[in-house]
Amino acid sequence: MALLTVKNLTKKFGGLVAVHDMTFDIEPGEIVGLIGPNGAGKTTLFNLISGIVHADQGSLMLAGKSLIGMRPCHRSRAGIGRTFQVVRPFDMNVLENVMVPALTRTRDTSKARKAAMEVLEMMGLAEFATRSPGNLTLAQRKRIEVARALATQPKLLLLDEVLAGLNPTEVAENLPLIRQLRDTGVTILFIEHLMDAMMAVAERVLVMDQGALICCGTPREVTSDECVIKAYLGEEDPQC
Amino acid sequence: MKKYTLWIAGGLGALLLLLVPLYFKSTFVLHIYTLTFFYIGLTAAWNIMAYGGNLSLGHASFFAIGAYVGALLYVKLGISPWIGLTGAVAASFVGGMILSMPLIRLRGPFFTLATIAFTEVLRLIAIDWRDLTHGSAGLNIPFDLGWLNLTFKSGAPFYYIALALAVGSVWLSRWVRYSALGYHLRAAASDDQAAEALGVDFNLVQITALLISATLTAVLGLFYAFYSYVLEPATLFSFELFSLQPALNAIIGGMGTVWGPVIGAVFMTPLGEFLRFYLGTIQQGLNYVVYGIILIMTVRFFPGGILSLLTPLGVRFKRWIGDTGDNQ
Repeated sequence: MALLTVKNLTKKFGGLVAVHDMTFDIEPGEIVGLIGPNGAGKTTLFNLISGIVHADQGSLMLAGKSLIGMRPCHRSRAGIGRTFQVVRPFDMNVLENVMVPALTRTRDTSKARKAAMEVLEMMGLAEFATRSPGNLTLAQRKRIEVARALATQPKLLLLDEVLAGLNPTEVAENLPLIRQLRDTGVTILFIEHLMDAMMAVAERVLVMDQGALICCGTPREVTSDECVIKAYLGEEDPQC
Repeated sequence: MKKYTLWIAGGLGALLLLLVPLYFKSTFVLHIYTLTFFYIGLTAAWNIMAYGGNLSLGHASFFAIGAYVGALLYVKLGISPWIGLTGAVAASFVGGMILSMPLIRLRGPFFTLATIAFTEVLRLIAIDWRDLTHGSAGLNIPFDLGWLNLTFKSGAPFYYIALALAVGSVWLSRWVRYSALGYHLRAAASDDQAAEALGVDFNLVQITALLISATLTAVLGLFYAFYSYVLEPATLFSFELFSLQPALNAIIGGMGTVWGPVIGAVFMTPLGEFLRFYLGTIQQGLNYVVYGIILIMTVRFFPGGILSLLTPLGVRFKRWIGDTGDNQ
C-alpha cells in the first residue's frame, strides 16, 4: 500500500488555483523530488499535506488513513514531518529547538533531551547544542530545521528547499544527508531547485506547473520530457 | 563541595525569612513582607501564561473569583476556607475555560483586550449582585479566631502562609517552565505555525497554561481575602492592583523566566507601598508617575528585565563556585 495517496487535490486562493486536481502516490521508502517553476504551487502542496492550509477538494491519505480535516499538530503525530523554506527556529538554543518536537513523542524531558541529542549528532550539529540558532550559518540553521522535523519520528518527511541559499561546499555537505535520512527508514518528498541535487538523489520526480502535475518519472525521463522543457523555458514554436 | 554552595546560600536565606516575624514586631514591616509574598505568587502565576507569549491584563478576575468564592462559602454557609479552596479552584477553572475561548481565537493585544473586558464584566456582576456580594459596600469576614477560619491575632501566621504560597507558586512556575508544557509554550510563543507543524497542539498548551495560571491566582485570592478581611469589588477587581501590577512586576523583573517575577515583585512591592505612602499624600497618582518612569526605563534600557542585568553576574558566580552543570 502506498504511504501517501493524493487524489484530485485542489486548492484555490480566491481566483487563483494554486493546486489543481493533483493525483499521485508515494511508496514507503521512496525519495521523491518535486520540481517546478516559481509559483507552480509546490509549497502550497506541502502546506496542504502538512495541514497548514486546508484543501477545497480531493482526498489525502497517509497509510490508508484520511488526513482531511486534521490539524497540523495531529498530522505531525500521524507521521508527517516538514521543514519550512524560510528557516523558523524557535527563540531558544539548538538543543531545546529539537527537544520541542521530541517532547510531542514523550513527556519525559530527559528522554526527549537524549533523543534530541541523537538527532543532533546524526545531523552533525551536536557541538552547537547550547548555541542560539541566530549565531549559526544558514546551512546549519537548515540542518536544525531538518533535525526538528526528524525528532517527530516522521514516516513521511517533507523537505522544502533545504539546499537553497547554500554555497557549493555546503550543498556538497548537506546533500548526502538526504540519502542518509532515507536509510533510517523515512520516506522523503523534497522540493529543490538545484537540478544537480535532484538528479543525484531523487528516485522519482514530480513536476508541477501552474498548480498541476504535468509530468512524473525518473530524473532522466523528466529532464528530457517536452512538457517540462516548455514549462521551464517557454514554447519554442507556437504549433508545438 | 562547592556544588552545594548555592543550596547552602538558599537555605540560609530561607532560614532568615522564617525568623523575620520573630524579630520585627512592627505590623507594617510584616505587612510589607506578606504583601510582597502575595505578589511573588501572583506574578509567578501570571508569568505561566507569559511563557506562551500571552499578556493578560485580567488576572484580577481570577484573584477576585478565588476571594469571593472562598469568603462567601465561609460567610454564608460557614464552610472553612481550607475546604472552600476546592470551590475557588473549581470556579476559577470555569472562568479560565470561558477566557480560553478568546485565547485560541485572538492573538497579542487583541487577547489582552479580551482579558480586560472579561474582568470588567465580572466586576460589574459583583457590584450589581447585591444579595450575594453586598455590592460596592463590600462584605466583611467576621472576626472568629482559629486556624480553620484563617483568622489570627497576629500577623505572623499569615506571613508564613504567604511565604509558603510564594514558594509554592514559584516552584509550580519553575516546574511548568521545564516540563514538556513549558517547552511547547515557548515554542508556541516563538512561532505558532512552526510549532503546530512539529506536533505541538497550540490550543491545548495555551489553554492548559491559562487554567494553571487562573487556578493558582484564585488560590492566592482566597488567602488574600482572609488576610484583608474586607471584600469589595473596587479592591479585588482593581485593574492597577491585581491585573496591571503582576504584569509590571514580571516585565520589570524579566518576563517568561522563572526568577524574573520574583525579582520584579521583591523590587516593586515595597517600592509601591513606599511611594503610595509618601507621594500619595502629596498628590494623588504621583506614585504612578514614578511607576511609569521605571517601566519606560526598563523597556528602553533593559528589555529583558532586571534579571537580564543579573544573569551575567550569576554565570560568573556559578563559575566561581565551580557549578558547571546546566541548572535544570
